[in-house]
Amino acid sequence: MATYDSLFSSLGLKQWCSEGKSSGPMSMADLLNKNKGESAEPASIWELPFPSMDALNESCAAFPQSRELTKGLEQGFLAIKDSLSLVLDPLTQPLSWFLDGALYGMLNTPWWIVIPLLLAGVFVVTKSWRLMLFVGGSIVLLAFIDHYDYAMQTLAIIFVCAFLCVLLGVPIGISMARSNALQRMIIPVLDMLQTLPPFVYLIPLIFLFSVTESKLYGIAIILYAIVPVIRLTNLGIRLVDKDVIEAADAFGMTPRQKLYKVQIPLALPNIMAGVNQTIMMSLAMVVIASLVSAPGLGVLVLRGIRNLELGVGLVSGLGIVILAVILDRVTKASLARINVSQKQ
Amino acid sequence: MAKNIKISIRNLYKIFGPTPDVALEHVRKGMGKADLLEQQRHVLGLRDINVDVHDGEITVIMGLSGSGKSTLIRHLNRLIDPTAGEIRVDGEDIMSYTEEQLRKLRRERMSMVFQKFALLPHKTVLENAGMAKDIRGHTTSDFEADARKWLARVGLEGNEYQYPHQLSGGMQQRVGIARALVSDAPIMLMDEAFSALDPLIRSDMQDLLLELQEELKKTIVFITHDLDEALKLADHLVILKDGEVVQQGDPQEILLNPGDPYIVDFISDINRARVLRVRSVMSPSDDGESEFAGDISEKDNLESVLLKSEGDMSLSFRVVRGDQQVGTLHMKDLARALVPTAASADRNKNAA
Repeated sequence: MATYDSLFSSLGLKQWCSEGKSSGPMSMADLLNKNKGESAEPASIWELPFPSMDALNESCAAFPQSRELTKGLEQGFLAIKDSLSLVLDPLTQPLSWFLDGALYGMLNTPWWIVIPLLLAGVFVVTKSWRLMLFVGGSIVLLAFIDHYDYAMQTLAIIFVCAFLCVLLGVPIGISMARSNALQRMIIPVLDMLQTLPPFVYLIPLIFLFSVTESKLYGIAIILYAIVPVIRLTNLGIRLVDKDVIEAADAFGMTPRQKLYKVQIPLALPNIMAGVNQTIMMSLAMVVIASLVSAPGLGVLVLRGIRNLELGVGLVSGLGIVILAVILDRVTKASLARINVSQKQ
Repeated sequence: MAKNIKISIRNLYKIFGPTPDVALEHVRKGMGKADLLEQQRHVLGLRDINVDVHDGEITVIMGLSGSGKSTLIRHLNRLIDPTAGEIRVDGEDIMSYTEEQLRKLRRERMSMVFQKFALLPHKTVLENAGMAKDIRGHTTSDFEADARKWLARVGLEGNEYQYPHQLSGGMQQRVGIARALVSDAPIMLMDEAFSALDPLIRSDMQDLLLELQEELKKTIVFITHDLDEALKLADHLVILKDGEVVQQGDPQEILLNPGDPYIVDFISDINRARVLRVRSVMSPSDDGESEFAGDISEKDNLESVLLKSEGDMSLSFRVVRGDQQVGTLHMKDLARALVPTAASADRNKNAA
C-alpha cells in the first residue's frame, strides 16, 4: 500500500491502474526498500511525499515514472536524429571546410609569415604602435614556451567562428530591430542559449554530428557566442536617434538607403561592442569545446585536469589569458576608434 | 496680390489611439479633447484644420507645446497620416499618393529643417548638406559645387570637412538649412528650427532666413512657439490651440484685432512698436494733410517712426511705397495702436 492509493480509488481508476502493471526496471530506492523489508508507506503526515510521478507510480502502476520522461525525450531525439542530420549535415558542411582550412593554413604557414601578418592586422584596425608591440611580445612569449601551435589553433577557430557569428548575427539583429514580433520570438531563444550550460548543448550535437568532424565544435561555439552580436545589433539599431530617422524619411530615403546610410553606421559602436563580446565568448567556448575534440590550448587545459598535471594546466591557462587580453584590447581599441569618429 | 495656393489643408483630423475612426465620430459630434481622453482613451491631435499655404510666402504656425503644431507640419509630407481630411500640394491630393510618389514628393518638392538639427553624425558638413542629392543617387562630386555654394551662403565657408559634433548649435542648424536649400525643393518645412538656439543666434538665423527668402521666394511653413519669432517671420500666421485653429490671417491684423482671449493673453507682453508696421495703422492718403514731418516706408515698424518723431505726438508722416504716397500716418494713431490689447478691442468698437 502506498500513500496515494486512496486518491486513485476515489477517482475510480483502480481498474486502469491494475491493468498497466509497470514492467520498468526497479529503481534504486525500491531496491533499498525491498532489502530493508519495509513498505514505502509513511508513518505520519510529516513524511508525506510530494505527489510526484514516482510517488503516484507506487500507488498506480499504470502511471508513468519520471524516468519515462527522460527516456521519452531521448527516444524522440533519436527518432528524428537521422532526418535532422540529413538536413543539417550538408547545411553545416561549409563550417567544417572553413575550420579545417583555417587550421591548416594557420599551422602550415611558417611563423615568420603568420606573426607579421597578425601584427599588420592589429595595426590596421587599431592604428596603435604600442598595442602592436604588446601583441607581438605576447605572441613571441607564447611561441618561446612552445605553445605557438596551440595558440594559433585556438586563434584560427576563434577567427572563423567569430566571423561567422557576425555574418549571421548582424542580419538577424537587423531583422529583429525591424519587427517587434520577430524580436519577441528570438529573445527567448537568445536567453536560452545564454543560460543553458554549454555542456548541455554539446550532448545533442554529439548525437547529430560525428565527433571527428570539426563542425561539431564550430556549431557549439557559434551557438554560444552569437548571442551578444545579435542582441547588440538589435539594440544599436533600435537606439538610433529618432530625429535622424525622421530626417531620413523626410528627405525620402528608401528603407534600404536608411539601413545602409543611417541605421548601420549609427549603430556601429554598439555592433562593435557586440563583436567584442562575441570574440570573448568564442574564446571561452573554444576551451570547453576541447571536450569534443576542438584543438588548441583547451586540449592542454583538459590534459591538466585529466592527468592532474598542474604545470601544464597553469601554463595553458596563462596562454588563454594572454590570448583573451590580446583579443579584448585589439577589439576595444578599434571600437574606440569608431566611437571617436561618430561622437554625436 | 494674386497668390497661388501651394498647399491646402481641408478638414484635417488626427486622433491618436487604438481605434481612431470610432473616436473621430465622437469628435465630429463635438466631444472636446479632455472628454475624449477620459471617455474614449484617445488623444485629439488635430481638429478640423483648414489652412491654405500660399506660394512664396512664409506661413507660420504658432502654438504652445501640445497644441499640435508639430503634428500638423508632419502631415504635409505625410510623416504622419491623418485620421480624416485632405491635403493638396500643387493641387494634387497627396493622400492618394503611392509610396513611390510620396518618396518623390519628399525628395524633390519638400525639404525639412528640424529642431534638433538631425544631421548625420558620421558624415562631414559637406556630405550632410548634399544629403538630399545623395539620396537621389548623385555622387559627392555632382553636388559638391552646389553644397559649397549654399554652405557659403549660410556662412559656413571653410567648415566643409568638419563633422557636425565639431560645430556649435547655431552652425549645425545652418548646415540643416543648407541641406534643405541644396535639395532645391520649392517647399521648406521648418519644425521649430530655431527653438534650440540661444536668443542672439536665433535672431541672426531669423535674419538669415528672411534674407534668403527675399532672394529665393520659397514656400516656407515655419513652426514656432515664440510669438516674437512668428510675428517677425510670418506673412500668414496660424494660431493653434489644443489642436484647433484659433485664428489665422495677416499677423498685423491678428495683433490689432485678436479674435480670442487666448490670443490676447499671448500678445499682451510683446513689444507692439517693434512688431506693428506703418501700413497697418496709417490712414488713406486723401485726407488733405499738407504738413509732413517726413517720408516713411509702409514697411517700417512703429519703433523706427517713434525714433524719427522724437516722441512728438503732433506730427504726421507721409507714407510711401517706392516713390508714391500711399497714406498718411498721424502720430496720434500710432499712439493708439500701441495701447495694450484689452483696450484696443474697445477702440475698434468705437471706431466702428
